[in-house]
Amino acid sequence: MKSRFKKILILATAALYGFPFLYMGLMSFARRWTYPSVLPDLLTIEHWRQLVVGQIEISYSFLLSVVLSLSVAATATIGGFITSKYIAEHRRSRWLLLGTYFPFILSPVIYAAFIYYYFVWMDLTGHVAGVFIGHLLLAYPYAIILCTGFWSRRSRKMEEVARTLGSGPWTTFARVLIPLARGILLMTFFQTFLISWFEYGLTTLLGIGKIQTLTLLVYQFITEANIYYAALSSFLLLLPPLILLLFQRRWLLYKVKGEW
Amino acid sequence: MLKLEGISFTYGEAPVLEEVDLRVDQGDTLSIQGVSGSGKTTLLKLVAGLEREHKGRVYLDDEEITTRVPEDRNVVYLSQEALLFPHLSVFENIAFGLTVRKVEKEKLQAQVQGLIRRLGLEGLSDRSPEQLSGGQKQRVAFGRALIVNPDLLLLDEPFASLDRSTREQMQQLFKEVVHEWGITSLFVTHNVKEAIMMGDHIALLKDGRLHQYESMQAFIDDPQSGVKEEKSFWESL
Repeated sequence: MKSRFKKILILATAALYGFPFLYMGLMSFARRWTYPSVLPDLLTIEHWRQLVVGQIEISYSFLLSVVLSLSVAATATIGGFITSKYIAEHRRSRWLLLGTYFPFILSPVIYAAFIYYYFVWMDLTGHVAGVFIGHLLLAYPYAIILCTGFWSRRSRKMEEVARTLGSGPWTTFARVLIPLARGILLMTFFQTFLISWFEYGLTTLLGIGKIQTLTLLVYQFITEANIYYAALSSFLLLLPPLILLLFQRRWLLYKVKGEW
Repeated sequence: MLKLEGISFTYGEAPVLEEVDLRVDQGDTLSIQGVSGSGKTTLLKLVAGLEREHKGRVYLDDEEITTRVPEDRNVVYLSQEALLFPHLSVFENIAFGLTVRKVEKEKLQAQVQGLIRRLGLEGLSDRSPEQLSGGQKQRVAFGRALIVNPDLLLLDEPFASLDRSTREQMQQLFKEVVHEWGITSLFVTHNVKEAIMMGDHIALLKDGRLHQYESMQAFIDDPQSGVKEEKSFWESL
């Protein structure tokens, strides 16, 4: 009885999470849909064909968002891991760590308003590079916060053992510390990817309408009541996080057995 | 040969080591006995190059190594915890020092297999550290240290966490291998009996000051070593 209830609960939860995804997928194939019908009257692959051949701006925005978010996540994860080591070993590590919370104490939009002047001054507004730096300014401190948890007395000892065995600082990083931290690194990559992927306020301000990431486009289609493109872009918006989640599901729970 | 001259180290304002001088001849083991907090681990870390903000000089085989980074000293540190790399197998753990030195594959295989046999670790090559007992872990850590043929081996209470029978086996193995290979070593322990047993020579570290004895008998006779106290305790029972 208990296991049956558990099964029903799992199925209900899966349906709850899966339904919007499936429905958006279905609506991305819709040609005609009228309220209050649940299902569309006519289905077509036309929107997907346009996406694949690059006829619509969704294609460009999707590619831009993928490249942007992957670059932000990779830079933030690598930079955050290295920086967190120095912060963890610093005498004033608590103060330095407190400083990394600054962007999150403000909301991203207020934070963007804070840095906006400098971006205008450096002519970075309306450029992909500007949006990349803007996203990085959010993702990088977050990566530091996540990676700080890895550095402990034990990681320090492992590093010391490797050094006395003849391994230089970078070899120790590559052969010992990174493999030990791979669970935390993958989680950091995933989290920072999501920060960049779903970022709206900061992108709007720094992109000044010239940089249209997929997240911005979804909002645009929704406000325009363009339901077919809104469904298609929303489906695409959910796709990479879902793939990443499935890919690193085992790593999210990863723990080096026994010793760590 | 290891020689330390006027080694002093302070942590903040507090002195940890004060004007430490010592000498260990090639192939000898010097036991350093001291209670917790006497500065034993700090001394080993200074010799290994893991703490370099100190006064004084460190010489190894008549060459000054005071400013050298740990990886350029060929001085290996073995601690109480085996600290095996959990993402590597037993074979890979032992081979680590040779891998970072980019030793040829065939040579590496032969050396590691030979050491695995010598340390009685046959059949465990592919196991991960979590599948080993405490004694086996220490054997692997010992093998990982020996494979690089160190000029100096630093042992920081390496058998303290083992049960009595495993500890005795490991002590025996250590003595055999160290003499067989002619390795110079510093063996640090809080245990008086272990200090006497493991060393060719002995020193006492107390409140950051080190006293190296002329002979074992001189250490036993010194009231500060605590040997007489321990002896009279057992006799009183």
